[in-house]
Amino acid sequence: MQRLKEIVVASGKGGVGKTTVSASLAVFLTKAGTKIVAADADVDAPDLLLALGGGKTVSSTKIEASEKAMIDESKCTGCSNCVRACPFGAIVMQDKIPTVVRLMCEGCGVCKVVCPVDAVEVKKAVTGTLKIEDTKYGFPLVTGYLKLGEHNSGHLVASVKKSGRKTAEDTGAKALVVDAAPGIGCPVIASISGASYVIAVTEPTPAAKRDLERLVKVIKHFNVPAGVVINKANLSEDFRVTLENWVKNELGYQILGEIPIDYEVVKALVNMVPVTEFNPNAEASKILTAIAKSVEDEVLP
Amino acid sequence: MKSGGKASAKLIRIKRVSVPTVAVTGGKGGTGKTTVAVNLAVGLSMEGSKVMLVDADVDGPCCAMLLGVELSNGEEVKIFKPVIDATKCTGCGKCVTVCREHALVGLKGKIPLFFEELCSGCKACQLVCEADAIKNGQKVLGTIYITDSNGVKLVVGELKPTEPRSPIVARATMLRAAEELKKGKYDVVIVDTAPGIHNVIAQALWEADLALAVTEPTPLGAHDLGFMLNLTEELGLPTEVILNKADIPNGLKDEVVKTSHDRGVEIVAEVPMDNELLHSYVSGEPLVRKSPKSPAGAALLALVPHIREMFVKGGKT
Repeated sequence: MQRLKEIVVASGKGGVGKTTVSASLAVFLTKAGTKIVAADADVDAPDLLLALGGGKTVSSTKIEASEKAMIDESKCTGCSNCVRACPFGAIVMQDKIPTVVRLMCEGCGVCKVVCPVDAVEVKKAVTGTLKIEDTKYGFPLVTGYLKLGEHNSGHLVASVKKSGRKTAEDTGAKALVVDAAPGIGCPVIASISGASYVIAVTEPTPAAKRDLERLVKVIKHFNVPAGVVINKANLSEDFRVTLENWVKNELGYQILGEIPIDYEVVKALVNMVPVTEFNPNAEASKILTAIAKSVEDEVLP
Repeated sequence: MKSGGKASAKLIRIKRVSVPTVAVTGGKGGTGKTTVAVNLAVGLSMEGSKVMLVDADVDGPCCAMLLGVELSNGEEVKIFKPVIDATKCTGCGKCVTVCREHALVGLKGKIPLFFEELCSGCKACQLVCEADAIKNGQKVLGTIYITDSNGVKLVVGELKPTEPRSPIVARATMLRAAEELKKGKYDVVIVDTAPGIHNVIAQALWEADLALAVTEPTPLGAHDLGFMLNLTEELGLPTEVILNKADIPNGLKDEVVKTSHDRGVEIVAEVPMDNELLHSYVSGEPLVRKSPKSPAGAALLALVPHIREMFVKGGKT
């Protein structure tokens, strides 16, 4: 049996169109007869389900990938060794008793090590929720929802991918389409590691180019092949040319497509339908479809 | 037992700096956080305030690009990493047991193997080692740059690509900014945060007196704004909403209004679509300086007296 192909849609910068590209790709592949599973790995701001108009919940599971320190007040002597040792600034003195700020604790447990009276315990904590939903487009979507202010979003992303792979195995899917978070940190690294292909979405602005450059360092570190999508391509004509040349010559990546600004995309988002379904004749839809076709040829020959 | 539950973050959020601090955040990516942060900082400076702008979006810091300033002479953000002295290690396995990140692995009686990418720099291994076999090593996680631009003191935190630990770099950036604040009489600090709601954002919001949540009129913008408002509520942080791309064709403002008003949060500015904003973004000249009378420039500039008024009165703390 052929190995599951994992196609990750990423971008250094936020708001450049990852979710729009992911939704159109997932729908395109399904319609073209490839069984797929979609996964929303932007666990901070999971929007793919919204872009697909919601779904029917198949399962919902709490994920305990975090650990948190807890201090037993009855044992604590207030020596504040833990406050000084915490590398994350997550323990603060309050009324002479150290208190763990749950939002900042990364569960490293050094506080437990330095506590002379064994007043600290490190316990498993809920990182977030994992939901599997059936979308109206005939493929399942796995979504991770991070609990507020949690760390370990990378672990939650790993759980989302694991669940996506399992769902793919159960349904006989050939591809997993992953909508990643913006940035280049832990959750993005967790999305890209082990991927078959990355679609790096950008726009013709210096900020987006700089963030793409940083993302590419991560992609190349993990040796994953990639292609670039330039969204809102006519934002700046001069900069578009600069960006195009840089992508081809400096990064050595193929440009999968250039999507013009098209307010049908906004209308489709507001109607919660992928633009390629909402208005297949829109300029953006035609190019999104062509991009999906190129990715299909590249990854699923 | 204390668990650091829901109410406690509010009680114990203690600011390290006394200068009024406004964090620009929002939940969703690409809504215009950096545009608001940069133009607010430059606008305040144009009105005579002494301003520090902190770029705490360490995954993708872009304030410098919008200000058109080159960054150089950075200071490295370093954390501890263990270096095992094989001549002293007894193979007792205590460091392996204590390392919750599983950065040290190995069997009893053997010298442990170290997986640097998993290490959080917490030093627990060194603390438990009875043979004094763990020496101080260093690992670079990122860089902090400090410079002046457009009358604003700029502090930028940048995560090294392929390093996963953004929160440590964000925290180091906030601490470095606090140190820099002591060198001058600043009137206000503006912090630009990363998108999302995880703890890298919590690190940046920790010092704030006010959060400005920037969003856009789409269901996605409203959805992610909801998450952000939950986070600022948990932090006990007063919050106001800025609606960017307010008049985007086919947009949906109602949902953002509802999400905000349901939580008693006010929308204090609506920034319209504006080609001038785009030109300023691409050319690296802040809009409030380049085209203060353009529709978006005027909307961003109108935030300046709003923020000044708030903090002249002593701030919303």
